[in-house]
Amino acid sequence: MLLEVRDLHVEFHTRDGVAKAVNGVNYSVEAGETLAVLGESGSGKSVTAQAVMGILDMPPGKIPKGEILFKGQDLLKLKEEERRKVRGAKMAMIFQDALSSLNPVLSVGEQLGEMFIVHKGMSKKDARAKAVELMDRVRIPAARERVGQYPHQFSGGMRQRIMIAMALALEPELIIADEPTTALDVTVQAQVMDLLAELQREYNMGLILITHDLGVVADVADKIAVMYAGRIVEQAPVHEIYKAPAHPYTRGLLDSIPRLDQKGQELYAIKGLPPNLLAIPPGCAFNPRCPMAQDVCRTDVPPLYEVTESPVPRASACHFWKECLHG
Amino acid sequence: MPEPIEPYEEGRAIAATGAGGATDLALSEAETLEKTPGGPQGTGPDKKARSLWSDAWRDLRRNPVFIISGLVILFLVVISIWPSLIASGDPLDCDLAKAQEGSQPGHPFGFNGQGCDVYTRTVYGARTSLTVGVLATLGVAVLGSVLGGLAGFFGGAWDGVLSRITDVFFAIPVVLGGLVLLSVVTSSTVWPVIGFMVLLGWPQISRIARGSVITAKQNDYVQAARALGASNSRMLLRHITPNALAPVIVVATIALGTYIALEATLSYLGVGLKPPTVSWGIDISSASQYVRNAPHMLLWPAGALAITVLAFIMLGDAVRDALDPKLR
Amino acid sequence: MGRYVIRRLLQMIPVFFGATLLIFLMVNVMGDPIAGLCGDRACDPATAAQLRKEFGLDKPVWQQYLTYMGNVFTGDFGTAFNGQPVTELMAQSFPVTLRLTIVAILFEIVIGISLGVVTGLKRGRPVDTTVLLLTLVVLSVPTFVTGLLVQLLLGVKWGWIKPAVSPEAPFSELIVPGLVLASVSLAYVTRLTRTSIAENKRADYVRTAVAKGLPRRRVISRHLLRNSLIPVVTFIGADIGALMGGAIVTERIFNIHGVGLQLYNGIVRQSTQTVVGFVTILVLIFLLANLLVDLLYAVLDPRIRYA
Repeated sequence: MLLEVRDLHVEFHTRDGVAKAVNGVNYSVEAGETLAVLGESGSGKSVTAQAVMGILDMPPGKIPKGEILFKGQDLLKLKEEERRKVRGAKMAMIFQDALSSLNPVLSVGEQLGEMFIVHKGMSKKDARAKAVELMDRVRIPAARERVGQYPHQFSGGMRQRIMIAMALALEPELIIADEPTTALDVTVQAQVMDLLAELQREYNMGLILITHDLGVVADVADKIAVMYAGRIVEQAPVHEIYKAPAHPYTRGLLDSIPRLDQKGQELYAIKGLPPNLLAIPPGCAFNPRCPMAQDVCRTDVPPLYEVTESPVPRASACHFWKECLHG
Repeated sequence: MPEPIEPYEEGRAIAATGAGGATDLALSEAETLEKTPGGPQGTGPDKKARSLWSDAWRDLRRNPVFIISGLVILFLVVISIWPSLIASGDPLDCDLAKAQEGSQPGHPFGFNGQGCDVYTRTVYGARTSLTVGVLATLGVAVLGSVLGGLAGFFGGAWDGVLSRITDVFFAIPVVLGGLVLLSVVTSSTVWPVIGFMVLLGWPQISRIARGSVITAKQNDYVQAARALGASNSRMLLRHITPNALAPVIVVATIALGTYIALEATLSYLGVGLKPPTVSWGIDISSASQYVRNAPHMLLWPAGALAITVLAFIMLGDAVRDALDPKLR
Repeated sequence: MGRYVIRRLLQMIPVFFGATLLIFLMVNVMGDPIAGLCGDRACDPATAAQLRKEFGLDKPVWQQYLTYMGNVFTGDFGTAFNGQPVTELMAQSFPVTLRLTIVAILFEIVIGISLGVVTGLKRGRPVDTTVLLLTLVVLSVPTFVTGLLVQLLLGVKWGWIKPAVSPEAPFSELIVPGLVLASVSLAYVTRLTRTSIAENKRADYVRTAVAKGLPRRRVISRHLLRNSLIPVVTFIGADIGALMGGAIVTERIFNIHGVGLQLYNGIVRQSTQTVVGFVTILVLIFLLANLLVDLLYAVLDPRIRYA
């Protein structure tokens, strides 16, 4: 197993109390596999990823419990210096907004080359040549001429390609892409996503794709983990989830996608607001918004039930997953 | 192509409770706060402005910096109005025979070079300093925000001219301007000093007011109001002023402290206030001649001056922190 | 880049003439330009009239200003109250004030930025709180009080420095006065750097740099510092002009024979030509310093360079 997250908890200590951002997340990715993590803002999907990368601000962040096993080794037990050598080299991250995620005052060549200078001890000149090579690799036209330019001189799609190039630089085994296409135009989104998928296949990397966009997921992911209030509420292979969700939250997400055959009908929307992480509702965190909620949902936290009817392994954190699956 | 399922109330739950600091949380919080002014939710400007002020007030009430500086300023205001509450003597009642004498019963701070009671003069000096500070700040704030605000709102030629004029004023060092303008003034009242401060101080506020009006003008709801045909005066009064006011108030509060310090500096250079006006600046200036033998004459008024300036700077700082959620 | 420089240069011209005209008017309207010319006594009416004619003071003010500026551009700044050419006074005093300003700016850069970086990185910790309180105290004590106290303690009580600077004013004697002159700006630079560092520390590109596996030192020096210092550099550059013009108080306390002291004497003796001449040069320095800042800004921030 390339990466295995076990019972991860993350909390933030703020003036107003402890915000429990991640509450016992388990997921795993194998080499060459794509895991899509789905959820609204504040569901803990990004925080989990940042914990895996080791880029959480601590304090105020804190990991009171959990393991992050990377090829069997618990990253949380490593010293910061050892952890740093893993970051960027063995696992890399692609962020949502490439414009703000790239340093505005350094040329893209410097920012790409830096990876080789720091991790491989290369000379500036060699690093620059490598940077041009990488830019070619992600199909940025006229790479040799543009290597000295600054992020603001590139278009949104090109900037995201540079982010991808930076993540790929040292051929890591795991890539975490946090909403890599959200900030892009729809036409560019597909190009960038295709490029990412292609490179993943080529290098046989594990990919964690964090997104709120179900459309992106369907084409590229192998399996999906749906997160809500810092927990995984449903986990399944991608096709199974589309066929029949086993959690009312997933169902709500699917129903709120506009479809051509429903033209003229009102679009479904999940009612209510995402939970306040300082005061997560007792029982199932989704119960105030759930159309199927019963008394038990307001008192008992549902465990991650194994969906026994499924031919492939899948799980749902709903007391009424059966009803949901058939409803 | 399916639409993103992102809910419209992004990060709301966290932002509403004011949780801050953590990367993910802080990011979504900052986003929400920045989006709110022009947000599509249609939060009206009044609601937004009101909640900005009430949020700020809630923050301020539990900020020790604000409480302490507020109490110091309150105390200064009270003794400026009724100095006799804590000082029974007359600041102009001096006895040369007692010149430079140190602390003694009934005269805790000793006597100055002319044999006046340092304690009484220090207490009475508060009135002068506060009068100068408050009036100069009021003048600067009103003149600066009107000129700067109009320039920012209407733009065009008037804005260009005003910007150049502020540049001109910025190019002249303040103390130097004070020396030139005030050196020929013989009046011993506070008015020439206040007039000078307003004359040279307004560009600072005008620049800030201009900037914040331009920012407020670009907010979506202001654009919407314009599209709906709101009149200029209505937009200025109802939509822009409440939002553009915050930075002006912050800068003006801090400036109040610096005007008090400037008055003292000018008085030290001999062009500010003149006796028989009782002022910390005058007292520090005259004490500086005797500083080797009788430092107490300098330390008391200087201490009072520093505490006053400090109180206003801290108050301004606290208000800024409360009004600028990004810095939380 | 070239067009940017030219635009900034063109914008300086009206400001230069505006500021010099303003100070010319202030001096002429407020004071009597010939008052200082007959020694300490007032001139008798006949001499006064003759002097007025000689200096062109019977002409309208705008004409006087143009004549004056015409002379300035040929290098003639007129005569000071003691009969010395103003240019001579300038040649004596500007190097002194320049040295004092250099000392002050160095303090701002070395101490101000270091303290700002440390406190910005350790925001909320005891170091931060202590330094922040110190800067508040420094900000709230006017420079002349700081100067008098420093002179009293270091110069008179403890004898570490000479209370008055000798006329030659070598760098060694200007260290303490330079610190006094810098004090308020120093506190401001510290706070500005602190805020900027603390704000940028949360920036996305810093997170990216950490995610790249860069060592902490490199994240700070190469990514965080470079971006955070842009506003600080702007402030310090603009402060060059402000310090040179604002050195009056410090120079008076430590008896430094610099620009401030000459100006002060010029104002007290109502020597129009000294005052206007010195201020003209100061305004010019202020504007050039600001131009320098703009250029530096463009060097530091490519978004402006290629705008």
